[in-house]
Amino acid sequence: MGGIQVGNLCHNVGSAARTMMDTMDAIRNILADQFWFSIVLGLVVFGGIQGAVAYAILLERKISAWTQDRYGPNRVGPYGILQPIADGLKFFLKEDIIPANVDKALFIFAPWMIFVVALVGFAVIPWGGSFKWGWMEATAKPMVVQVASVDIGLLYIVAVSSLSVYGVVLGGWASNNKYSFYGAIRAAAQMLSYEVPMGMCLMAAILMTGSLRLEEMVDWQARHGWAVMYHPIAALVLFITALAEANRMPFDLAESEQELIGGYHTEYSALKLALFFLAEYSHMITSSAMMICIFFGGYLVPGWEWLNTTPTFGAALVRVAVFAFKIFLFICLYMLIRWTIPRFRFDQLMRLAWKGLVPMTMTLVAAQGLVLYMGWSQWTTTAVNIGVFLFGGFVSVAGGKAVTGRQLSLRRAEAMG
Amino acid sequence: MEYSNNLVIGLLIFVVAGIAMSFGALLIGHLIRTKLPHPEKAAAYECGEPAIGPGWVQFDLRFYVVALVFLIFDIEVALFYPWAVVYKEAGIAALWDMLVFFGVIVVGYLYLWRFGYLDWVRATGLHDKRSTVRRDDALGRAARQWM
Repeated sequence: MGGIQVGNLCHNVGSAARTMMDTMDAIRNILADQFWFSIVLGLVVFGGIQGAVAYAILLERKISAWTQDRYGPNRVGPYGILQPIADGLKFFLKEDIIPANVDKALFIFAPWMIFVVALVGFAVIPWGGSFKWGWMEATAKPMVVQVASVDIGLLYIVAVSSLSVYGVVLGGWASNNKYSFYGAIRAAAQMLSYEVPMGMCLMAAILMTGSLRLEEMVDWQARHGWAVMYHPIAALVLFITALAEANRMPFDLAESEQELIGGYHTEYSALKLALFFLAEYSHMITSSAMMICIFFGGYLVPGWEWLNTTPTFGAALVRVAVFAFKIFLFICLYMLIRWTIPRFRFDQLMRLAWKGLVPMTMTLVAAQGLVLYMGWSQWTTTAVNIGVFLFGGFVSVAGGKAVTGRQLSLRRAEAMG
Repeated sequence: MEYSNNLVIGLLIFVVAGIAMSFGALLIGHLIRTKLPHPEKAAAYECGEPAIGPGWVQFDLRFYVVALVFLIFDIEVALFYPWAVVYKEAGIAALWDMLVFFGVIVVGYLYLWRFGYLDWVRATGLHDKRSTVRRDDALGRAARQWM
């Protein structure tokens, strides 16, 4: 009798183990299929970005405190690390005011739109190259750590990131507030103006690598070295335009507190305001990821060849970590710049884009095309970049265009004694 | 990638997750937050003063000009991207094609520059070289007072 019981028990344990094995196999098969893997990765990325954005806001406050020799938030949890949770709760509990005379449908639609649009750009970022699971056959196609691997990756990012201007304009217009409206109009003009040099910078990179796929651009850099060495000024201009597109500090005319209260989100409160902030920080992360893929080697580390060639899951995780660390450095740079460079005036902003960055980047594109056609060394473009930088600096200093009318009359008054 | 619908899937994940998250958050917030409506709260916030007229006011024509100029350049960029991808294989014809197109754009750009469409503040008399107003005549002095 005891024997039968033990036998049953063994049988039960065995079938339980077998069903567990079956489930494991099923999970392995799902994870080895790019379609399902993309969906899992998409959800992981979505969650990761939400957390990263929440902590980016804390990082922003900590860095601004550090720059101004303050403590920053340090009451909620040790060193204030629970602050994002407290902030989130506060956004839930605060009263959500919809002013009486707004265009209600658009007023509610705008923060949603800007939030969703800021997220979809992550679909084509190559987070960590490709790898194979331990249980996959040697001949199987490797998995790609990328939600969507498409031919038009870069074009897609550019298209999607410029959609965010609609959210800003709709929000500002729907608010029926003069300050919001001016903020929205300024934001539109600024984003449009800075998209032109951004497109040109990207074009130099596309010409050089011959691909619109971000992962192929990273591969190109694995063979030739980081693209920033060949196009340092294009990388710098791309960074400047990314600051302008994200409405970050030297270019935050759309929400300059001293002039426009809060700009386009003056009338928003509670969670709708939070959605605008989440969108801004997501935008920062997308644009940093794009810059890193194009000019700063993606997940590559100089001198670590094994990182790019090892096809295991562990190596892929290290690549993702490297990529995330580079994004972190870029975010820190964004935040330090906020407390370093004062805001531009609107005419200066426009002049920088149309008279400074556009001709510079046009020259770079033409130079890159010529270098490819003549078959010269890629290092020629480095020389062209330095030349453009020196010539631009010389023209702007010698031309004295930066001196405004008021300063001119002051100088004359001084000269007259 | 064999999955031609991969981008659609990626887009859908983020769109659906984004909408679900923001909708869920707004719904939960709607259920738990306080509501104390007051006519003062519902008024437009313009420095705390009662707002004069609607917020949809006339704005500077310059913004339209910027939008028009942007349109031209953006079409250029959109046309350049596919060209840039195939440039290495396409050879000399691609180069000349694009040089002609680029030349037309550059001529337009120089026109805009020459006639001041790229200046935010156009021709104020003080820093316009072509102006007949000199800095030290009566009009110039009057202009300088206001600059």
